[in-house]
Amino acid sequence: MRAEELKGHLDALLLAALEDGPRHGYAVMEALRQNTEGRLDLPTGTIYPALHRLEQAGLIAGSWSVAAGRRRRMYQLTAAGARALSGKRADWRDFAAMMSAALEGRPCPDPA
Amino acid sequence: MSGPGLIDGYLAELSADLPARIVEELADGLDETYRRYLGRGLAQDAAARAAVAEFGEPQVVMAAFTDASRGRRTARRLLAVGPGVGTWWAIVLITARGWQWPVPVVARVLFGVMLIAVIGFLAAAALGRHYRPVCRAAAAGCVGTAIVDAAVTGMVLITAPVLAWPVAVAVALSAGRSTFALRNFHHALTG
Repeated sequence: MRAEELKGHLDALLLAALEDGPRHGYAVMEALRQNTEGRLDLPTGTIYPALHRLEQAGLIAGSWSVAAGRRRRMYQLTAAGARALSGKRADWRDFAAMMSAALEGRPCPDPA
Repeated sequence: MSGPGLIDGYLAELSADLPARIVEELADGLDETYRRYLGRGLAQDAAARAAVAEFGEPQVVMAAFTDASRGRRTARRLLAVGPGVGTWWAIVLITARGWQWPVPVVARVLFGVMLIAVIGFLAAAALGRHYRPVCRAAAAGCVGTAIVDAAVTGMVLITAPVLAWPVAVAVALSAGRSTFALRNFHHALTG
């Protein structure tokens, strides 16, 4: 999957990648690769600005740590980020169900 | 260019536009990527090429950081509220026949020039492609916004013959906008 196809969904992917605990930028990308079985084709360098944007929005918190003599920026989900992730998951389920109903003729489940 | 040299060159290109703290974070990620390719058995040069390719074109990375910068976000917010605040002030000045007030021509011209400059700074910050110029333009726009708001507020409070409630609303709008601009000045400047 290419970057332009992810537009609008990258934030949810990044928040989900941080759900299990703090990670640095590269580890976030690795988690995304593992979770998508390597099908995510995204320039790693563009993950970092997205993390900065989420940090500015208060959805994740960044802090510096030292690993192997090198400073490393770690990110973790905030309470607001956890709530946002929960909302994005619900939105995605509704969207996916609606698209499946429209494209494949599957019955659209009752949103309630 | 050798493997480590290729990575150094990539980081140097980023350093030309991005702050050191961002480049430091990217360097860490790039080093991890490089080591992963080395671990897969690639030679140094091939590992460096693969790591740099995986990170993406420097221009793409720099553009993404510029879009995510606080300077750009602040400038866009100020540009978004600008027409509303400006329209309210225009209504106040037109209904009060502000052109008849005893304001020196030089002051009027200076105010107009300042207003145009502020809009220019904010537009440059909202549309610019390079991180540092965008942040500087946003910071200049923040200061300029506060000066423009202070100038028009001071002018009206000193020269207006009658201060009706629309003036109070306009002053409140300008005060709120100035506060926002000044509170975000440092973040805008540093990104």
